[in-house]
Amino acid sequence: MQKNFTQKYKEFLININNLENSYADIINLVLKNSVYVYINQDDIALANKTIKINYKNLQNSKILLEDSYSDIKDNINYLNGCIDKDLQNIELFLRVNASIKNSLLFLSRHIEDSKILQKNDQDELLKARIILKRFNDTKRLQDLAYLNDKDYLLYTNSTDKDVINYIKAFNLHSTFLIKNYPIFINITKKIIQNKAIHQRIHIIKKEFTEVSLHDFKALDKFATILFTLFFFSFLTIIILLIKYQKENMKLQYSYTYDQLTNLYNRRKFELDIENNNKFDKPFLIIININDFRYINDIYGNDTGNILLKDFSKFIGEKIKIFNEKSIVYRLGGDEFGIIFENIIKDRVVDITNKLEQIITSNNFTINSVNIDLNVNISINNVKPILENADLALKQAKRSSISNICVFDEKQHLKQNVQENMQMVKTIKDALAEDRIIPFFQPIVNLQTSKIEKYEALVRLRLKNGEILPPFKFLEIAQKSSQYHNITKVMIEKTIQTARKYPQYRFSINFSMQDILDKKITTTLFELLDENKDTDAKIDIELLESEQLDDMQIVKLFIDKVHTYGSYILVDDFGTGYSNFSYFSELAIDIVKIDGSIVKEIVTSKRKFHMLKSIKEFANGMDMKTVSEFVESRDIALKLKSIGATYAQGYYFSQPLEQPLDDANVTI
Amino acid sequence: MLKLIILITIIITINAKEPISPIPLGIDYDEEKALLGKRLFFDVILSKDKSVSCLSCHNVYDGGADSRDVSLGFENREGNIQSPTVLNARYNFAQFWNGRAENLKEQADGPLNNPNEHNMNPTLVEKRVNNSILYKKDFKKVFHINYIKYEYILDAIVEFEKALTTPNSRFDRYLRSEIKLNKDEKKGYKLFKDYGCITCHNGVNVGGNSFQKIGTFIAYNANVKYPDRSQVTHNEMDKNVFKVPTLRNITKTAPYFHDASAKDLKTALHVMAEHNLGIIMKDEDIEHIIKFLESLNGELPTILDED
Repeated sequence: MQKNFTQKYKEFLININNLENSYADIINLVLKNSVYVYINQDDIALANKTIKINYKNLQNSKILLEDSYSDIKDNINYLNGCIDKDLQNIELFLRVNASIKNSLLFLSRHIEDSKILQKNDQDELLKARIILKRFNDTKRLQDLAYLNDKDYLLYTNSTDKDVINYIKAFNLHSTFLIKNYPIFINITKKIIQNKAIHQRIHIIKKEFTEVSLHDFKALDKFATILFTLFFFSFLTIIILLIKYQKENMKLQYSYTYDQLTNLYNRRKFELDIENNNKFDKPFLIIININDFRYINDIYGNDTGNILLKDFSKFIGEKIKIFNEKSIVYRLGGDEFGIIFENIIKDRVVDITNKLEQIITSNNFTINSVNIDLNVNISINNVKPILENADLALKQAKRSSISNICVFDEKQHLKQNVQENMQMVKTIKDALAEDRIIPFFQPIVNLQTSKIEKYEALVRLRLKNGEILPPFKFLEIAQKSSQYHNITKVMIEKTIQTARKYPQYRFSINFSMQDILDKKITTTLFELLDENKDTDAKIDIELLESEQLDDMQIVKLFIDKVHTYGSYILVDDFGTGYSNFSYFSELAIDIVKIDGSIVKEIVTSKRKFHMLKSIKEFANGMDMKTVSEFVESRDIALKLKSIGATYAQGYYFSQPLEQPLDDANVTI
Repeated sequence: MLKLIILITIIITINAKEPISPIPLGIDYDEEKALLGKRLFFDVILSKDKSVSCLSCHNVYDGGADSRDVSLGFENREGNIQSPTVLNARYNFAQFWNGRAENLKEQADGPLNNPNEHNMNPTLVEKRVNNSILYKKDFKKVFHINYIKYEYILDAIVEFEKALTTPNSRFDRYLRSEIKLNKDEKKGYKLFKDYGCITCHNGVNVGGNSFQKIGTFIAYNANVKYPDRSQVTHNEMDKNVFKVPTLRNITKTAPYFHDASAKDLKTALHVMAEHNLGIIMKDEDIEHIIKFLESLNGELPTILDED
């Protein structure tokens, strides 16, 4: 009898352990199915069957026929409902998972195949990448919060059928994903976080141990032996548990570590950041490799991958030099984050500067190809730490002055970003609908009381007719791909106007950066070449700026402009970065005296003397002057009395949509 | 681009194994029992008016399915769904289009008792088979029984069906590195993966291991009533959900889909691409995929040569 009991007892324990293990199996497979793209689903179909068989075996365990085990039997029957529900959830999971995988696959492929868009719309392509990234992040992190941005559709003004179809296909799939993600995430969470079955099994085991222990005691003679047996069974459970723990650890690894570089991945980073106690006063720096995309395009993905590995290793080694507590993460394809703890800002900035130098001066050699890297780095310790660091990184990318940007709350970067995005769209629309227009402000010859020239000033007319001045949109346009188009429109329209009003000269504004931009200067000269009848009437106004790296290019530009018979004007002289040394090097024809001086010549002696000396300097250099911001008759008369050549300002006229037919003015 | 790199890395490093596995060689089945089952499978006495056998709707010599849109059963009554293939059915995770049978035995029970199909009942089946001296002799030999119970009849048929596998297709031989695929087949297989067909059509049967909705992307004839998964689960979400069919010997099992709406593979692929993948597939790609699908045609089961 004792032997019989031991056998039944063992049978039950084996059955319930089998069930528990097969359940762990299927959860493991669900995870695999959600992570891997291509997977053989035979395994999960088999696991499904195994659970059912194991449950049936448990239900049929001989020991349950005994009266004392009837409670346990009830519990087991109850378990049936939980299992059925879970298996149904898994069936649904597999269905949604398949569609979502396919759409994600489609979008990745679609973006890769974006030749159509690349030509036409770099911004939308970027957006497409961001949208896909968001979808991927959401799936990886199983958190719908990553989809909070409602902007997941692409737009185009293009009439090109290919572009329209391309965008349509993208939107079709992103709409599909938006609709199905909530179902997918919820069902996945429901399956993975469902503890009901484990808990129920745990309860059954506990009750079983209690009841059977009681039975063991009754079997006094064999109690010790049987208890030993029980102990061994318990041991097997532990061994099995350890086995599955290992499996899960492996999976956990892929959730915590980046497969390529073996650094911690973004998921881990986010977990660490969420865990408030994890870091003591953390500083985050993000390092982004410039133009990594091109490295992939030029050298191939294999090389790109090796580079990322080498780079990770390099950073890991170099960061040790500074002897600060730090952790390195791979946050995205070409983005690396380093968290420093307990450190002052100056020290982080110092480390970052040195790190940038170390990186840029290092020669990465991959398959005997030398690759030099440039990086942008942002520094931040203001919460939300990643988002703000991201904003600062964008700032660093935009800036032509420094590759490093420290996040500063005062910059209101976040708000800027949204407004800027809106503005980019406004600019694009305006370009498409021909609402970028020049206004013309007359420049009067004070000695003859005649308008001789007009300055063309860019304006954007909104759909409602409102006119936007350049400071509202030009800076943003400069950072987007639209700037070049605006410049082009301005030149074209000014040329047209010059043809209509042959009695006047016209000047167009160019910044120093424009001159360094080959695309813009090429456009200018092409347009001048195409319009030989007006080319000598178009002058160029140079806006001074802080930095003028390549004097040689500016010189060449000015020489070329002169060959058309055009003049060079220098704007805003007498303020900001005015630099007399320009004049020794550059053949400038006209100097525009800054309004901050002109405005006050009647009221301030000092300003008046400044103006006079600029004028004399100009005379000596054989240059003419234009006084800007002439806002009253007094100023105009005073200028005339000292023999100043030109004046411009509201006293004569504000900028006009069309030049005046009559050149005469009264002073 | 970078996501794709990560994707590729994952695919290459972790999942280097192909998601399709070859049909096992040298499958084990009881030959005597299977041959007995074969006779039953071919025998019209298993239908009430002795007009149809299992073979009538599952032509094992050519694809194992029915080339008619719906099969005709007892007194030429029409079935309610396109007959799926019996070849390699042992590798399906569930039987019937909606998976209502968990195994081959449960499946075989279905058509026999369906009034529109064989229109029999277990007692009548037993009576008919027990009337045959030949069957009695053979059942005694195989099962060591004097009276042939319904269970044993099903058992024998199932054993025959287990022998109905089509190994050694070109693709299986490619998976076992015995041959190389030609350029078209290779391209077709790549497209099959790239487009995501493989997400549902994988495993040993290139399908048959999961349920999926027809028209995940764009609704497919949602109003027409077919016995779908919802009839098993009584869940609204399972409307128009069916077992993903196997693609083995697919070129021989036209017409396609549960409703036989696609008369050829080209149409079927167009419909699948549009409704389940949300893409318009180019004709050129379809031709390549069909080349790949052709490489899934295997050898006829050896049991068909035996008596």
